[in-house]
Amino acid sequence: MTRRDFLIGSLAPAAALGLAGCRQAAAPRSRARVQVTRAAGYGQDIYDTMRRVLASHQLNVRGRRVVLKPNLVEFEPGSVINTHPMVVHAALEAFRELGATVAIAEGPGHRRGTLDLADAAGYFQTIPGFEDIFTDLNLDEVSRVRLARPVSQLRSLYLPHTVLAGDLLVSMPKMKTHHWAGATLSMKNLFGIVPGGVYGWPKNVLHWAGIPQSIADLHSLFPNHFAIVDGIVGMEGNGPIQGRPKAAGVLVSGDDAVAVDATCCRIMQIEPSRIQYLTLAGGLDGISEKNIEQIGEKPDSVATPFELIMELRDLRREKA
Amino acid sequence: MEFDRAALENIQAAQNPDGGWPYRRGGSWTEPTVYALLAHQAARQKAPRSGAALAWLGAAQQPDGGCAPRPSVDQSTWVTALAALLPPETIGAQRHARITEWLLRQSGQESSLIFRLGALLRDGKLPAGPDQTGWPWFPGTAAWVTPTCLGILALKKCYWRRPSTQLRERIDQAQAFLLSRRCADGGWNHGSVRALGYDVGSYPETTGQALLALAGLYPVKLERSIALAQRFLREQRSSGGAAWLRLGLLAHQQTPAAAPLFPMPCRTVPDTALTLLAEAAEQGYNVFLG
Repeated sequence: MTRRDFLIGSLAPAAALGLAGCRQAAAPRSRARVQVTRAAGYGQDIYDTMRRVLASHQLNVRGRRVVLKPNLVEFEPGSVINTHPMVVHAALEAFRELGATVAIAEGPGHRRGTLDLADAAGYFQTIPGFEDIFTDLNLDEVSRVRLARPVSQLRSLYLPHTVLAGDLLVSMPKMKTHHWAGATLSMKNLFGIVPGGVYGWPKNVLHWAGIPQSIADLHSLFPNHFAIVDGIVGMEGNGPIQGRPKAAGVLVSGDDAVAVDATCCRIMQIEPSRIQYLTLAGGLDGISEKNIEQIGEKPDSVATPFELIMELRDLRREKA
Repeated sequence: MEFDRAALENIQAAQNPDGGWPYRRGGSWTEPTVYALLAHQAARQKAPRSGAALAWLGAAQQPDGGCAPRPSVDQSTWVTALAALLPPETIGAQRHARITEWLLRQSGQESSLIFRLGALLRDGKLPAGPDQTGWPWFPGTAAWVTPTCLGILALKKCYWRRPSTQLRERIDQAQAFLLSRRCADGGWNHGSVRALGYDVGSYPETTGQALLALAGLYPVKLERSIALAQRFLREQRSSGGAAWLRLGLLAHQQTPAAAPLFPMPCRTVPDTALTLLAEAAEQGYNVFLG
């Protein structure tokens, strides 16, 4: 064990604890719990909606460090590429009301000027003091983390301290189709924690190691991260950049990322068992409907078929 | 030469006690440290505590000759090309030579024989070979536009100091790689021209970098690329992107045309330094080409 690896030992337990230490005392659950909440638009009522979402999950984050990780991709104000800033602001306020210290952090995969990107996406305008609570994960201090049982060819990854030292990582992706992975949701959003300052833009080590396999490996490092998927207006077609807006009118949340993403797929009418990273990370059991306790809306009641490009048409799920 | 003294002082104020520079605040990284030193070179000023800065960079050099991006990373990466942009007399001729040797040993994994044979078996078509070879961000991965541009700029400086066939060939191969990655709109993105059959659009910063790295390449027609860079510059929202566009246009004797539509604060040390480097280039001294 090297001195650098030893440093990880002081940081990783906090991240590994994840939600286990943040959930209020309750009987152990055998089934993953996923909430689907209707949210018609990005209006002021999103703040109340977010409070209700967190309350229903009975999160105990008082005194904890919560890291909100949105998905910032491109400089296109008004487009649906990025997680909407009001969703992130609503989560920030709601977690603060629960007594947490909240940071926002992201490391975009293609573009260098993360703060400029956040500015163009409306984050500065929407979130007071944004610059003071934001960390560019591409340029954060890093330590090497070894993968215990890698699925990909990766054996270790340098990861940012802001994420490693947080008590609860909250993945806040946009609900989008993805031309390589099928769908980009809370697990694929973890690509943004891999530092570009080390690996570059794009984070090509993840591609060479296998995209689905790398997603599964990142998930294994943060198995209990909390997920809030912005599906109010998502993206269909040639996502995650060139697609078209698609209103699904929902927020999907939960502490089991595999179950949350499988539920999102069902809403998008994508067959989750055909998304390789979901089966790699959760197996068929992890994505099975019988193993997911749905609270709030039933996925089928809000199902909205996201258009798929020709190459991904075999991912289409027939509505139950 | 008129120079933005306040910007240079901002860079100086950001220097860490260890001699290196952070991106914004916090620990020192190789990239901002190199750009801070280049900004001082453009201003024809010695950086305060330049000895400490160079010692910090020296410590970033790995046993294989390349440079790590951070002291906590024990792997040489794309930032090695940045270190090679510094004059050998500043970091030491021997150290500089080892940096250059590391660069010459690196290439995108997709141009390796094993990968190409695999692609031939899989797709029935042999992909482009060593005559189109760029640099990866991280060893063992594919070549991309930004590290290839930085590699070209670094090796050109070496070539001008001491011409050699090896350097010339590598520069030619890398420029051929860049031309093969030009997008349908005439510019460059990170290096992916099409995805699943769909054209992918260009980015401002990479378009500026590629124009800079292709300076002096004739008779390649770059009119569309230049026109796109001018449009990008007007619509630009990032000071770093704007600086690369200005540097790229000036490398082709093009005056940056219209005023930008949006305010662009310099939010990082590299952004401030690159803006100063573009300013110096407008006044006749392009540190990347001089």
